[in-house]
Amino acid sequence: MEILVCVKRVPDSAENEIEMNAEGNDIERDDLVFSVNEWDNYAVEEAIQIVDNVGGTVTVVTVGDDESDEVLRREMAMGAAKGILLTDDAFEGSDCKGVATILKGCVDKGNYDLIFTGAQADEGAGAVGGMLAAMMDYPYASLVNKIEAGDGKLTIGREIEGGNQEMNEIDLPCVLSIQTGINEPRYVGIRGIRQVSGVEIPELGAADLGLDAAAVGEAGAKVKKVDYFVPESGDGAEMLEGSNDQIIEKLIEILKANGGLQ
Amino acid sequence: MADRFMSMRNLKFTLHEVIGASPEGSGHTRKSMDMVLDAAFDFAKKALHPLYEEMDRHPPELIDGTVSVHKEMRSILTTLGKDGWISAIFPEEWGGDNMPPSLLHAVCFIFASANYSASVYSGLTMGAANLILTFGSDELKRTFVPTMLEGKWQGTMALTEPEAGTSLGDLTTAAAPQEDGTYRITGEKIFISAGDHDAVDNVVHLLLARIEGAPAGVKGISLFVVPKLRPNDGALRPNDVTVTQIFHKMGYRGAPITALSFGEKGDCTGYLVGEANRGLSYMFHMMNDARLEVGMGATAIATAAYHAALDYTRNRRQGRRLTDGSGAPPIPIIEHQDVKRMLLFQRAVSEGALSLILQCSRYEALSHTAPDEEKADYHLLLELLTPVAKTFPAEMGILSTSASIQCFGGYGYCEDFPVEQHFRDMRIHAIHEGTTGIQGMDLLGRKVVMKNGKALLLLSREIDKTIKRVQDYPALQAMAQALSEAKETLSTTTMTLGGVAKEKGPEAFLANATLYLELFGHVTIAWQWLLQMGVVSEKLAGQNVRKADLAFYNGKLDVGRYYFGYELPKIGALSIALAQPALTLEIEAACFTD
Ligand SMILES: Cc1cc2nc3c(=O)[nH]c(=O)nc-3n(C[C@H](O)[C@H](O)[C@H](O)COP(=O)(O)OP(=O)(O)OC[C@H]3O[C@@H](n4cnc5c(N)ncnc54)[C@H](O)[C@@H]3O)c2cc1C
Repeated sequence: MEILVCVKRVPDSAENEIEMNAEGNDIERDDLVFSVNEWDNYAVEEAIQIVDNVGGTVTVVTVGDDESDEVLRREMAMGAAKGILLTDDAFEGSDCKGVATILKGCVDKGNYDLIFTGAQADEGAGAVGGMLAAMMDYPYASLVNKIEAGDGKLTIGREIEGGNQEMNEIDLPCVLSIQTGINEPRYVGIRGIRQVSGVEIPELGAADLGLDAAAVGEAGAKVKKVDYFVPESGDGAEMLEGSNDQIIEKLIEILKANGGLQ
Repeated sequence: MADRFMSMRNLKFTLHEVIGASPEGSGHTRKSMDMVLDAAFDFAKKALHPLYEEMDRHPPELIDGTVSVHKEMRSILTTLGKDGWISAIFPEEWGGDNMPPSLLHAVCFIFASANYSASVYSGLTMGAANLILTFGSDELKRTFVPTMLEGKWQGTMALTEPEAGTSLGDLTTAAAPQEDGTYRITGEKIFISAGDHDAVDNVVHLLLARIEGAPAGVKGISLFVVPKLRPNDGALRPNDVTVTQIFHKMGYRGAPITALSFGEKGDCTGYLVGEANRGLSYMFHMMNDARLEVGMGATAIATAAYHAALDYTRNRRQGRRLTDGSGAPPIPIIEHQDVKRMLLFQRAVSEGALSLILQCSRYEALSHTAPDEEKADYHLLLELLTPVAKTFPAEMGILSTSASIQCFGGYGYCEDFPVEQHFRDMRIHAIHEGTTGIQGMDLLGRKVVMKNGKALLLLSREIDKTIKRVQDYPALQAMAQALSEAKETLSTTTMTLGGVAKEKGPEAFLANATLYLELFGHVTIAWQWLLQMGVVSEKLAGQNVRKADLAFYNGKLDVGRYYFGYELPKIGALSIALAQPALTLEIEAACFTD
């Protein structure tokens, strides 16, 4: 099975204090510490496990800048065999559709049976996987939390509202967005790092992918972020302070006092 | 950002920008070093840190002769083995990565700041494997090392006995030669870290004992491998090692310390490592590393406590500015001057110590990789600074974690917050791997005087280099001057004590060695702060400093100024005390009556 996993370099929320930029329409990105999108680790782990069982190769790809090879290397140190960096000034400012278009360029150049994305990334749209599937005319399933590889097909589980579970069959090739909890991603170790630290990672730009630069990046973006802010906490919101235990205790008190708990 | 236990930004700054750890010959680039640090951090955050409290609250138990530890320890050790962390420092033929010492210490720092107890198991195995690989026979290496490096067998250092702690020359564990070249071991060891537990399949003790007929004292001590289960024809058989007790400790409770009895049934086999009667010198060979690791453990705990205090003081609102009216809303306590002072103190201690230890590991690397004529000098610097790099964080860390508690007020004294545990976990570092008293005597009695005081001269040159490096920055000149004077104070004090040694002998010379070590610590940490401030000034003078870097760099300058303003002046009092004849010589033990 040839599997392509789309991964993204995102601000690490544990390592950053998020601040607004001067224009007030985005967070200050220049100063952030980045790491790989948490969901993508689950997708890569799942791909590695499938390949361990049925054979094949795992390739990781990212749309990013020249620093993004670090997330590819990280995922390769986990066990992905190949990495591809899609980078071009023309890609900057892409909306979800732009990113999906760029990824399609990469998918077209390969011969993949299965494409994974994380269920969502830092911006929370969760849109790229679905768009990529539509552009490829591949079947798509989101929030996948279980996969069994079959012949020309997969059996997949999906997480449904309220903790319910559904099972589906899906034809290959297909695109799946992977939910956390599907597995326990392995850690990156020294051995893995040693194998990948010197590996050349191929970089492909718009021309290599046969893309019209005007269809991607800021030029092609039809969704534009115009504002970004932390909502004011409204009246009636009470921030509980103290240790976890104290907060839990207070919360129970409030729930009881208001009839939420008997 | 709650739950933060260290700053990767600061670690990378110190490692790359201040120390400039040279990865030459190790196959590492800055990028690959960062990958290692990021991977270590990920493991620390997800696997070690979540167990920090739990391992303290559910300490090891002795059940049916075996020590039961936290159930996650097995999978932690397996991962550390499988992923190559335990073998990292060793050559490739042992599955290692030839990891440079500075990177190893940085990784240890990350693990220990997440969960000190969980981090020590693999460190002990690494140390024990290192002894076998350095001094053991090929057969010992083949038999024991691979499984140890896989994290399946625990390594220990079994030195201490009930009647031989600091004074190892008095140890009585005996080794009787057998016809097959092995030895029969009998004796008792005490306080042996990870001396037995159920997260591994075997325990391999690197044990000091005296071969029958060997000279008394330190010259008659040999080193043995003594496994709990001895490999025999592909099977593992009990080797007559019994756990007689585990100790209920003040802190660092997630890792067991055991009392062990060897050869109660006369069936405990030991395998000699290297030559007979060389045991203590083999152990000393590892001593610098082990002591730096202790210093790093203390630094890591102080760092984690600082981050907890920082988070709390930003969020806790209490009191008002002295100039605010009583109707004003309460302010976050970090705005109070005294709280700021406590936070500055914690940062000054932990970041200063981190820098010093990484500096030592750089000297360690250079003592192997520098041009031949310089190797010995770097080794001397490492020797000189090791007792300081162990003790400064161990002793100041006690005060620093205490200040962390103080930032929390009453909450800090309670188990709801992590700092009371940090305080308890911290306390061991001034005791194990040689108490502070012993470090003081090692520094003054051995390191300062060796090679006619050459090490101190070399240090003085290193400090001068830093002073010269910052000469273009007017804002640093007063501090450069203060450091220069502090160096003079150290030098004068050393000469005075040298005179005492000549006139009054070793007892008088070393009576106040602990105070001398404290003074020495302040001077070297001030040096590390000036160095950090110099690096920061160079960065700030460059183009395009990013906004977050600006805040970070300015913070560094502030903490450095704090060190020079509040901590370094303490050497004034210490030097006065050290210039007096040691009072303790005159005061008889008999005076302690009530
Ligand atoms: C948690 C923990 C883990 C440990 N792990 C290990 C381990 O893995 N392996 C191992 O072998 N040991 C281990 N130890 C033992 C540790 O190394 C010893 O406790 C330490 O060396 C001190 O020995 P002692 O306890 O017998 O104290 P003592 O030697 O009795 O010292 C008591 C006090 O007297 C002072 N003193 C003693 N002699 C002198 C002197 N000549 N001059 C001036 N002052 C002196 C000391 O500085 C100290 O303040 C561990 C101990 C603890 C508590």
